[in-house]
Amino acid sequence: MKLFQSICIALVLLSVVAFKPSKPTTLVGNVVHDFALKNVDSKMVSLHDFADAKGFIVVFTCNHCPFAKLYSKRFNDLNSKYIAKGVPFLAINSMDTLVYEEESFELMKNKAQHDNFNFPYLYDCMQTVGKDFKAEHTPHAFVIWKENNQWVIKYSGAIDDNGEHPEKANPYIANAVDDLLHGKPVKMPETQSFGCAIFYRK
Amino acid sequence: MQQTFRFIAIVFLFSFLVKSSSAQTYNQLWIPDTLSGTTFNLTVKDTLKQILSGQQTVTGGINADFWGPTLIMKKGDLVHINLKNKFNDTITIHWHGMHLPAVMDGGPHQTIPPGVLWQPYWTVNNPASTLWYHPHLHEKTTMEIAKGIGGFIIIRDSLESTLALPRTYGVDDVPLVLTSRRFDGSNQIVYTNSVYGDYMLTNGTPSAQVSLPKQYVRLRILNAEIERGYNLGFSDNRTFYIIANDGGLLNAPVAVTRVKLLVGERIEIMVDLSNDAIGSAVDLKAYNSGQAFGFPGGEPATSGQFGSLLNNIDFPVLHINVAAATANPITAVPATLAHNVYWTAADATVQRRIDVTEGNPGGKPFSLDSTPFVLNYINKTIPFNNIEEWTVKNNNVFGHAFHIHDIQFKIVARNGSAAGVGAYESGWKDVMYVPKSETVSFVAKFNDYSDTIHPYMYHCHFTSHEDGGMMGQFVVKDFSNSSGIENVSKHELDYNLFPNPATARVYVQFNELNNEVYYITVINSIGRTVMMLPQPEIPKGIDVSSLAKGIYFVQLMDKNTKSITTKKFVKE
Repeated sequence: MKLFQSICIALVLLSVVAFKPSKPTTLVGNVVHDFALKNVDSKMVSLHDFADAKGFIVVFTCNHCPFAKLYSKRFNDLNSKYIAKGVPFLAINSMDTLVYEEESFELMKNKAQHDNFNFPYLYDCMQTVGKDFKAEHTPHAFVIWKENNQWVIKYSGAIDDNGEHPEKANPYIANAVDDLLHGKPVKMPETQSFGCAIFYRK
Repeated sequence: MQQTFRFIAIVFLFSFLVKSSSAQTYNQLWIPDTLSGTTFNLTVKDTLKQILSGQQTVTGGINADFWGPTLIMKKGDLVHINLKNKFNDTITIHWHGMHLPAVMDGGPHQTIPPGVLWQPYWTVNNPASTLWYHPHLHEKTTMEIAKGIGGFIIIRDSLESTLALPRTYGVDDVPLVLTSRRFDGSNQIVYTNSVYGDYMLTNGTPSAQVSLPKQYVRLRILNAEIERGYNLGFSDNRTFYIIANDGGLLNAPVAVTRVKLLVGERIEIMVDLSNDAIGSAVDLKAYNSGQAFGFPGGEPATSGQFGSLLNNIDFPVLHINVAAATANPITAVPATLAHNVYWTAADATVQRRIDVTEGNPGGKPFSLDSTPFVLNYINKTIPFNNIEEWTVKNNNVFGHAFHIHDIQFKIVARNGSAAGVGAYESGWKDVMYVPKSETVSFVAKFNDYSDTIHPYMYHCHFTSHEDGGMMGQFVVKDFSNSSGIENVSKHELDYNLFPNPATARVYVQFNELNNEVYYITVINSIGRTVMMLPQPEIPKGIDVSSLAKGIYFVQLMDKNTKSITTKKFVKE
């Protein structure tokens, strides 16, 4: 029995070692900077335009990634629900527009119109904002919050845990915003983002 | 502290029990669609698939959400491929086992950036066989295959068609691509620092089942793993018949109860279900427990880079439910299948030896001849029409699956002995298992295609090993039509594009005779490559109907001088 227990413990230890995330660095707690990006209506958008914002939901997304495409309605719902509470929703496209013909500004405009986006869809053609956030995939969702006049990442990762079935999903990002609005620390500040990798030009 | 550990250990064990008991519920085997004819339209794309419960898995597919269509080609046909890359990353697609010009082969040099249409074409020279196509982008092959990009090719010919063999696709002739995958906490495929999966996926289906008719059925089985080998057999140890290896039919069927299938290898088997009761079931299984060290997947660890929940155990690959026979069932295995005449060691005029090197734990990755793969280094130049004997010596720490492009070979010796070659591997092959501490020799003829620019590859087909640099390149060079003087004078190829502007096709008109074109690349006005045309058929012109309106540049490479001349046209 003792031996049996030791084997079990060894197995547990092995599995802990094996599934240690390859990137232990967290993005939560990082400070990100204000920006000025062109919206699909051709007007420039910056964080300081939203004088009363307590924070933002910032989602890096794009036109061509099939996983990102699943979320248009949820993006609209998040904006409708949280803009009134001082947490506007911003979508940013940081994909390399030289590589992907589907990521042109014209096609961003088409997508925003087709999917009735009720939030800014911003063109990060120099990829500077994506790099500042260290956004890895489309979609990669962040919640940033104002602290001491700085914008601090409070949540990084997936929007929820079920792309095709929103009704079954655990709404990670909504939960994080709710925690912050209640003045509480975010219970689950980091999940995994996945979808299409964002490749940054050097 | 100890209490906590005990609790975790119990939870851990319990999760094991749940996993094994849940294997009793099956999912219907997905069988890829077929494409046939002489023009094949393929779109490689990102997609997603419900593999586990909960979050969908981000996958890659070709015209599908995992894997791709089975291409049915006829020997002798000139086939054209229109392959569009809609994947988020650069890809290459290699036609594994196909005998074709190196510039069409889809190796690591034929990189296809996102958005590009690639149009290789060739005449099918292989006999009836089961081949496959898959990514071959250096250092990204594991990621792209792990995500599911690939597909079968079935070649038919007049000899195979005259035999009484099961040939109704999806009914009594079923392709099976064997892979296992590991998933992370978000149900996403793990492909870094992990070479074995925890879940068996057969045609992308976990816990797969299929109904097969009560008669002889044919299974075309491909190992498309990262590293795992399969020691295949049936759950009642019944005899089955190997009728084909990688390159086509054996001369006669070989009866076995077990057969090993390493990464990249294919076998076609026939199994008799006519004595099974309708409604009964039998499992195709991997009998992977108790293998000698060096068999990939035999390592006992249940987790970590070289461990998995499927390691060193026997596990089901396909649950077969026996259904009613079809109208005209196949009732026997033909005694004679083919009349292949194989090369022997005596035919070879050149002997080459390749050593498996490096790869010690904690040391450098595996390599061949201590020369890790370098993209612009040609390891071997092979005279056109040579018959050669290659010997791969694995005096090293682990087994490997040696693969060579361009040709099909005949294994002539294991450890120096012709008698050591198994009957089950006696046909044409393009992958061979080289176990730890073994030396394996094959003979092949490097005929039909020569090209001093585009190389073919030879490598270990464990994708983690080839990504790590266990790969070399060779060119087949025709010395007979060469003066020996390589200094061809470089000159601008003089040509015109017409009509210009164009709507459907652009034609190339040369202003001098005897021009041969090696490659055409079409680039749009912002510098993005949109079309890649290896050795294009110049009289047919370039089909530009799919291009958006705008200005484009044609970069045309001369075959003899390799000089590139650029011309502009307008698409209206």
